[in-house]
Amino acid sequence: MQKAIACFENVTRRFGDLIAVNDANLEIFPGEVTAILGENGAGKSTLMKLLYGVHLPSSGRILINGEPSAITGPADAMINGVGMVFQNFSLLSALTVRDNLLLAWPKTPYWVSENNKGTKEVLANLTRLAPHINPHSKVSNLSVGEQQLVELCKVLNISARIVILDEPTSVLTPAESRRLHGFIRQLADEGVSVVLITHKLADVEACADRIAVMRKGQIVDVSPRGQKSMSEIVTLMMGSDVKREISPPALPKKRVEKLFLNKICATAPGMSLKDISLSIAAGEVVGLAGVAGNGQALLAEVLAGIHPATSGDVALDGISLIRRNQMETLATPLGYIPELPRKNAVVENMTLAKNLNLRALASGKADVNNEVQDLLTRFHVNPPEIDRYASTLSGGNLQKLVSARELGRPRAAILACYPTMGLDISAIQMIYREIFAQAEAGAAVLWISEDLDDLIAGSHRIAIIRDGQLVAVKDNDGKLNRDTLGAMMTGLKPERKVA
Amino acid sequence: MLVNRDTFLVVSATILAFFLLIIGFFILLGKPPFEMIGMLLTYALGDAYSISQTLAKTTPILLCALAAAVPGRLGLISVGAEGQLYAGAITGTAIVLAAPDLPAALMLPMMLVCAALGGAFYGYIPGILRARLQINETITTLVLNYVTVLWVNALVFGPWKDPASQGWPATITFPSAAILPALPASRIHLGLLIAVAFAIALHFFFTRGASSQKIQILAGNRKVGEMFGLNFGTWVIALMAMGGAIAGIAGIAEVSAIQGRLQPTISIGYGLTGFLVSWLSRHQPLIILPVAFLVGGLVAASDALQLFAKVPAASAIILQGMLFAVALAVPGIIKSMRPGYER
Amino acid sequence: MSAELLTLLGAWSIATLRSATPLIFTTLGETLTQRTGIINLGIEGEMLAGACVGFAVGVATGNPWLGLLAGALAGVALSCLHAALVLGANANQIGSGLAVWMIALGTTSYFGRALVGNQVTPLPDLGSQLTDGLPFLGSFFGQMTMSVPLAIAAVAFAAWWLAHTRTGIQWQAVGESARISSENGIRPKVVRLKAILLGGLLSGFGGAILSVDYTQTWAQDMTKGRGLISVGLVIVARWKPVLVLPICIIFGLAEVAVLRMQTAGWSISPHLLATTPYLVVLLILIISHAAARRDTDMPADLRRVFA
Repeated sequence: MQKAIACFENVTRRFGDLIAVNDANLEIFPGEVTAILGENGAGKSTLMKLLYGVHLPSSGRILINGEPSAITGPADAMINGVGMVFQNFSLLSALTVRDNLLLAWPKTPYWVSENNKGTKEVLANLTRLAPHINPHSKVSNLSVGEQQLVELCKVLNISARIVILDEPTSVLTPAESRRLHGFIRQLADEGVSVVLITHKLADVEACADRIAVMRKGQIVDVSPRGQKSMSEIVTLMMGSDVKREISPPALPKKRVEKLFLNKICATAPGMSLKDISLSIAAGEVVGLAGVAGNGQALLAEVLAGIHPATSGDVALDGISLIRRNQMETLATPLGYIPELPRKNAVVENMTLAKNLNLRALASGKADVNNEVQDLLTRFHVNPPEIDRYASTLSGGNLQKLVSARELGRPRAAILACYPTMGLDISAIQMIYREIFAQAEAGAAVLWISEDLDDLIAGSHRIAIIRDGQLVAVKDNDGKLNRDTLGAMMTGLKPERKVA
Repeated sequence: MLVNRDTFLVVSATILAFFLLIIGFFILLGKPPFEMIGMLLTYALGDAYSISQTLAKTTPILLCALAAAVPGRLGLISVGAEGQLYAGAITGTAIVLAAPDLPAALMLPMMLVCAALGGAFYGYIPGILRARLQINETITTLVLNYVTVLWVNALVFGPWKDPASQGWPATITFPSAAILPALPASRIHLGLLIAVAFAIALHFFFTRGASSQKIQILAGNRKVGEMFGLNFGTWVIALMAMGGAIAGIAGIAEVSAIQGRLQPTISIGYGLTGFLVSWLSRHQPLIILPVAFLVGGLVAASDALQLFAKVPAASAIILQGMLFAVALAVPGIIKSMRPGYER
Repeated sequence: MSAELLTLLGAWSIATLRSATPLIFTTLGETLTQRTGIINLGIEGEMLAGACVGFAVGVATGNPWLGLLAGALAGVALSCLHAALVLGANANQIGSGLAVWMIALGTTSYFGRALVGNQVTPLPDLGSQLTDGLPFLGSFFGQMTMSVPLAIAAVAFAAWWLAHTRTGIQWQAVGESARISSENGIRPKVVRLKAILLGGLLSGFGGAILSVDYTQTWAQDMTKGRGLISVGLVIVARWKPVLVLPICIIFGLAEVAVLRMQTAGWSISPHLLATTPYLVVLLILIISHAAARRDTDMPADLRRVFA
């Protein structure tokens, strides 16, 4: 039996009242890919951040090579050969690739110049792994796939013996994901322990040697690859009710155009939208697919009237949504679920009741209606206390709160950006049910998501956005699959590998 | 306005820490600390005269605090009350100099309105710079403060100088119709009544008014406000100008009721003191009322201590600075001592 | 004719440089502090403390260099308060800066009273036997002290240091995101502490240059908002140390131009003339914001405090 390189012994981590990791026991072996599988919020990331020193355990201990871990921060972790690639990356987009690599390398010389040995060494792995990336370009100019290569390069630079990858494929196209799977296998073959945090079975099937399943902060199962069937693993991951069924309501027989985007152009720092035209009929669900950061967020803000369009128009039932004057106007008639609810959609220092009534409050009406309690229960907001401040809610519950506000009443159109982010399976089903109910009642729905499987299962048509342009709008006639969509998202042929 | 356990803890710890610092301060000055604190209290509240002095200081501090609180409700940090106070003094004086023979019934309202307009204009400038160009309002208000003080100097040394006053840089003494009515034999004048009325009115405006929720939404999350049709820029300009108007009234009240004419020094840092009061009160008008009174007492008593106990004139501002520092530090320290606090 | 022009040019440039020098130090200090994501309005107070302590030590010892050193240390001491409030107690940065300023304003006006009217030994000028006889360079160097080349060198060094050293890159990283920096093994609070103290050092030094070298007098509240102007100039310089030099020089030039108007026979109230620095800084703030509507150069972590 091989000796474990890292070992969690009865590790628990609390954040206030929340127990993020509960009495976890896990061993990590060299040369193996350990997949940590679980739903959003199951505690996977927190568990690994304990190993990387971002958080310290509330109780229990972590052994590295049989010795109690002396890691108290990421700096220690790097010196001890533990590297971690975070889900949202830890790259500084305003700095160059070179500077980002230098930052994360313990042996960086004090004086940094192109000619000294240390600086050359830090770039060596980049040249090997991604020769096409210019070390002097700013990270903000790189694509997501390229950024991930830079992240991997950071980990290679510290000659890590343990490499932790947090949801590495969530931002990648299918082709990029496959390439990453190959790279992970290669690392393991070189004797590195790779920990792969994921909620996607595809990742596990592609490259895991050992599968640890987490649910609600606890490690519920650890087994070597092949010992359990995938459906067994899914059952472990999600608890009792598993089935995730999505199907949109049937399209109405007569097509009535409802939401009409006419040649929208807009600019924001680092992003511009060019001539976006799309027409959505009453009762129709149009999915918008694209790699994150290709203009989805800007398009949503233009439609919601928050960001000005430089030209073009958006009409809902023939009335312009975006030609607003400087003075105050009516709230958007759209049901709008923005991404990142804490940042974009709630007023944290107001109560849940007030947050559900922002439309009325913003137009100067002070009355808070009585439906709020019902809405909180209907949308599974926990705890359903109307006088609680929104700041005390978790991210997933804020997401449900915003959905309750935007989907709780009949709307003429729905604009939903990643509406199921951070939700558990039953909440996801509830959100889809509510969105489809709106469509059934005659709303035009534009649904922005990164989850291609869900988009394919739930949309009537799928539009693809790339570099701020709609590159295709396809009827979802059963012929669309992940690979064809992925190819359109990146602009490459399905089979060709990304450099 | 909720007084819960946390608030109580923070307030009492702040007062205690400030008290300890005052003791240390007097020991450093070589004065007996408890005797000095006793004298501070006596000179602030000891008798009718002291209270009248305290209330005289309270008036401009209260108005300047409200002037900072109004934009503060939107999350803006405006430190421009000092400059707006001087701006109000200039425009208010202008009407008196232009039409010195008006009857009081006409003169007083016109003077107050002109001063409010002057102050409002001086709040409007940083407001529009923030709303249209995203220039930080704290820096512009701080820099603009210096400008109006110099304008007042330029006026009273130049065109507005009373020829009869010989060397002394000041305008003519205001006609009695332009003097705000005061309680007999005291320095408590109409300005105090106006200030208290403003505080109460603002309390209702910010808690019950039709706009109160709009302001709260925009202050809490600007993006959400705009999603529901509110315009952040419009509110920035409106509240900055409104705050400026209040500070402008403080300026003309000082000129008319306390000094009787416009001269170089109208304010002894009331703008900054007012900002401090507003900050300590979390921009809540009904809390500003008592806090302005207490800080007014501190300022008045420091004046008296300077005369009678040879405590340096600068003590008032040092003590205010220490109070500010303590009030900033205490909530954070208490929070970091809570269990479960994350780094 | 050309000799006259040259002399005039020399007089203008020396006046501009000398009036800009204190500001170059404070603006540079604040730029470096803000690059780590911390705004310090207290540099107005730190500058004042530097001017007061620097002048006092200069008078007491008769050595202007000791004065400058003491001034710089006074700035550091005061910046400790800002660091303690902001980093130790998580206090609001703008509020903390104002508290530091109030304390410095009161303390210096108390201790400074005894200094009013005193004379300080000035820094030696840079004129030497080499340049003394020369028509243009002679008077140029004759009116200049070490402070000017020191300021230029400081800017050049800081600009290079920020871009080309490990610590410099770490400082930039912390300004962009404390969270991401710590994920990369940097301790943001330590970096920010150093940056605040360095900002205090340079502000105190700049203040001491103002009282010991430039005006050679002490007056109550003598900085008159120059520290706050520095905070504005940092924005105009788009948080780039290299730009601190030209921006401060433009600012100094405008100030000198208006002062010369008075000697040129324009009858303007001296009080109105004194408003120039404030109006100039507002004007260049407006121009720079109108030219680049979005603060894309602003360190990302600063945005949370600032905008």
